[in-house]
Amino acid sequence: MLTITILSKGKRISRESIQRLDLLLLALETIDLNGAESLYSLSSKLNLNDVLPNKVTIWKLRNNNPMRNSFNNNNIKLSEFNALIKLTAEMAKFLYPYIRQILQSRDDLIRNPKPWNEFKNRYIELISERFNTNSMKVKRLLDPSCNDEVFIKIILTLALCISEDGFLNLRRTLLNY
Amino acid sequence: MLQNKILFNQSSVSLEINGLPDYSNNENQDNISIISQWKLMIIDKPVIEGNLDHLKSIMKAFYSYSISILNDENPSYNSKLIDIKPENCYTHILLLKSSKPKVKPLNIRIGNSIFADIINCFDQLGFSDKVKNIYSKEFKSLTNKKHSFLKDKKNISEFLLPPVVSLFSIFLFSTAFIYIYDNNENRSLLNYQNKLVSIQSINKLL
Repeated sequence: MLTITILSKGKRISRESIQRLDLLLLALETIDLNGAESLYSLSSKLNLNDVLPNKVTIWKLRNNNPMRNSFNNNNIKLSEFNALIKLTAEMAKFLYPYIRQILQSRDDLIRNPKPWNEFKNRYIELISERFNTNSMKVKRLLDPSCNDEVFIKIILTLALCISEDGFLNLRRTLLNY
Repeated sequence: MLQNKILFNQSSVSLEINGLPDYSNNENQDNISIISQWKLMIIDKPVIEGNLDHLKSIMKAFYSYSISILNDENPSYNSKLIDIKPENCYTHILLLKSSKPKVKPLNIRIGNSIFADIINCFDQLGFSDKVKNIYSKEFKSLTNKKHSFLKDKKNISEFLLPPVVSLFSIFLFSTAFIYIYDNNENRSLLNYQNKLVSIQSINKLL
């Protein structure tokens, strides 16, 4: 039994990977105001109904993120994790023009600050609404002096996973956490 | 002979590939298998151009750099042809060194949006059916082998590990039982010897 437990532990998805994936999904929800609905309709288009049959399942899986208020450790399976990554990569592909606009605004903040500031404000709003604000990690995310770098990296990650093998790139990146 | 020209566009970046199809392989006339020249055009920046080797070096540099950014590693890439380093979290500095003598290196600063556009242009090129001999996969597989065990394909060690572990555990348990059995046997022998000694001593006394 001990050996089986040790072997199975090696294949468990790390908390950091789930945290990062949920932050990416939250960024997509920030850009697309009807994000939850879009994610669900996209999962049907991608034939992920077996793994993600409804919106509640997506929500439950995202609750594996320990930073969430409604954190619930359900031990997310690899197939479920992969399905969420596929959703993220596909959604990023659809939203690339907006993602790029936000990145460009951050590159040239003096001349064109509106898209970046709007994204940042809404992202912070969603984080404070859904995440446990007493946690140190969340506090750091909400700290305006150091959260820019994290937010830029999240948007850049989305921008770099829109190719045909974007899902594989994103999976490789997330599993490195 | 008239060369083919294929363009890959992504917002502010265009990648132009010039070359010829491989007629010896009966390839489609619109395809490009022999790349003679390429141009990377970025709005408001000088045009970057070169031959196939230069293109491969630049693609390798951009992919390596992007992977190290995504993996939260120190993103810096140095080679004979190109250096890329971050100025801050939203600006990157490219230093392009010409292979021709007496040509000064070219310094270009690009933001994250342009960086993402360039990577996406290279991805389009890598997945294009019309341009052969360039595969983005060969540049992406350079790093990131930390979680190879989670790949869909089962490797041989993954296949062999469970039976080996089970055999080892059976061996471990069986040796433990043999040890206990041996101990019991030794004890019974000792008891028998003690009994004999006691009978001998009684005989002596009598």
